[in-house]
Amino acid sequence: MVRPVSHNQAHSPTRHARVDAVIVGAGAAGNVFAAVLAEAGKSVLVLDPGPAWKPADLYSSAIWSRRLRWGGPPVESTGANAFGAGFNAGWGTGGAALHHYGTWPRLMPADFTMQSDHGKGLDWPIGYDDLRPFYDRVQTEVGVSGDAVAEIWRPAGEPYPLPPLQQFAQARLLAKCFHASGMKTAPSPMAILSQDYKGRPACLYDGWCDAGCPIGALANPLVTYHPRAIKAGAKFVNHAHVTRLLPGKTARVAAGVDYVDAAGTTHTVLADMVILAASTISNPTILLNSTGGDWHLGAGNSSGLVGRYFMTHSITSVYGFFDDEETENYLGVTGAQATNMDHYGKLSLGDGAFGSLQWQLAPTMKPNDLLGVAMARADLFGADLTRFMERAVHHLAVMFGFGEGLPLLDNRVELSDRVGPGGTRTPRVVHAFAPESIRLSQNAAKLGLKIVASGGASEPWAGPMANAHMMGGTIMGTDPHRSVTDSFGRSHDIGNLIIAGPGLYPTAGAMNPNFTNHALALRNAEHAVSRWLS
Amino acid sequence: MVMDLRDKGNGPGRRTLLKSAAFGMFAFSVAGIDMLLSPQEARARDAALTVLSHDEAALLEAFGEALVPGARVAGIAHFVDANLARPHAQSLLTARYLDVLPPHDAFYREGLAALDRASHAALGAPFVQVSAEQAKPLIAAMLPGTIAPWHGPPPALFYLAVRSDAADLVYGTPAAFARMNVPYMPHIAPPGDW
Repeated sequence: MVRPVSHNQAHSPTRHARVDAVIVGAGAAGNVFAAVLAEAGKSVLVLDPGPAWKPADLYSSAIWSRRLRWGGPPVESTGANAFGAGFNAGWGTGGAALHHYGTWPRLMPADFTMQSDHGKGLDWPIGYDDLRPFYDRVQTEVGVSGDAVAEIWRPAGEPYPLPPLQQFAQARLLAKCFHASGMKTAPSPMAILSQDYKGRPACLYDGWCDAGCPIGALANPLVTYHPRAIKAGAKFVNHAHVTRLLPGKTARVAAGVDYVDAAGTTHTVLADMVILAASTISNPTILLNSTGGDWHLGAGNSSGLVGRYFMTHSITSVYGFFDDEETENYLGVTGAQATNMDHYGKLSLGDGAFGSLQWQLAPTMKPNDLLGVAMARADLFGADLTRFMERAVHHLAVMFGFGEGLPLLDNRVELSDRVGPGGTRTPRVVHAFAPESIRLSQNAAKLGLKIVASGGASEPWAGPMANAHMMGGTIMGTDPHRSVTDSFGRSHDIGNLIIAGPGLYPTAGAMNPNFTNHALALRNAEHAVSRWLS
Repeated sequence: MVMDLRDKGNGPGRRTLLKSAAFGMFAFSVAGIDMLLSPQEARARDAALTVLSHDEAALLEAFGEALVPGARVAGIAHFVDANLARPHAQSLLTARYLDVLPPHDAFYREGLAALDRASHAALGAPFVQVSAEQAKPLIAAMLPGTIAPWHGPPPALFYLAVRSDAADLVYGTPAAFARMNVPYMPHIAPPGDW
């Protein structure tokens, strides 16, 4: 049994019993690692700074869903295109995957070779074929719904285990717009059950995915890898904010981690293996705060690249009214009902744009909240807003263009001057899109407006460029001077440190990151078991 | 839904209040008695404010009402006040999404003060005394950031945060959905009416 012991100014230093692996973060990647390692017989302790959510906590309310977002030390967000940290990061068991929308496209082969193909950005140290079997296995494990044939853009892989989700009027109306423009659509690949699957019920299409799915139709960690990890004996400690890695006998070894509990008491966990699976922001924050021993620039940071190449996706929103139709925009799923990837090629939008574009059609819109109906026209207020709402809740349709953000050295997670738990410094995220990425969003808006107008939508408009998803900051690569980890997430500097999560991605593609996150975590966790400490 | 906590032995201990808050209501004090109320009920009963002053609450109500008609009666001041009184991790305010650095009470206070100063300068009266029509150009200048003078948090950020708070109460509750003929369809219904 793992028994915590504590040390701070008021108490004697105490320690947990030594474990084979300590995992920092109980989100998607952390739970995959916990399940795989525990099932391999390793003693596993998972530390998470947030609460231990249960399905019964997941109220169907956009207001209450805000509890699921980052509630830890403040994250400063700055730069010309400041990243929306508060909306994207998770809080508690399940992490961001607890409130994620379950839109699970695979990356494309060309996403792995951007530098070789175009002389821009970076290459991955692996290719699509390395991840393909793990995509296939994960989709079978958690249940992904879709139509692999209709997705004419989809890379090679097993068909989805479940048929596509049901579509509603908003999706049908927008699909007509694409077809009128000579473009195809396909049901979105969703990690949401269209049928009962492995003891979990099918989706009810009430559109509350953003608030967490208490019935478990959406593949959040509470119903996928977390139960496996628990069953295999992994221990989870919540309200445990990991502050730093502890140096071992040499700079090549991490002895374990320190964490601060809710009472402010510091605890030490010693482990043979340290798995850093906190968020894309928290992973580099912890590394940069770990300056013990010879880690003068932070743990695993001999390259100076910890925190660098932070990436996000641009979001181009395009709206239109269908006044003769009830768009049923309150039905379906928060992610998307249909997709189009005709412009996924890095150069396909032309006119100065660079990067991939993915359209996601007909996400559910509740009347309020950041992605809700009222925010579709943030400039309206007073009686004008009242009139808009009366019309829009029944006749508005929306689609989002996700645009690729390039890996830029200057986009980064760094430490601020604010003091956080255990005397650490809190993170600051600095982000600006490259000019060709901004042009990508601008061109996507023009294209989207033509598409919806061609299908009969009235008064189409595009919203301001926004962003979503977080990647990079602890990128993997083959060269220790140009990356933080190898292709298995193993630190180039510290032999028993593995980093997990979308922070590993050298490029972002234009795909929602969580499917790749799962596939990569499964690959790397199994590799860790097979090469334990070798 | 109103829950009077007087029958809890020596009054509602903090544990009781926190537990109740976790189930979806806020603790308000009405005439010295702690009750669990919705923001609308709290306003109707003139519940005491915890963080905001009376003047700040009045200004927030006026601004919220100008942004989203109905926000005043829906209890925007008590909604914001109750959330400001909670630990940040339990806050339900959109400011959390907008990367407003905590503590958020300063954000609201400074934003309200900046709005009132701008109203004095541009309209010759405190914001609570100007009509919706008079306030329109002033408010319209917030999102593009052209409002002047402005000495406070970024005006667009403050506008979006308060507008979203107001929209939460006027459009985001089960009752609001019903009013708009939009099915709420909860898996787990939020406690109370919001």
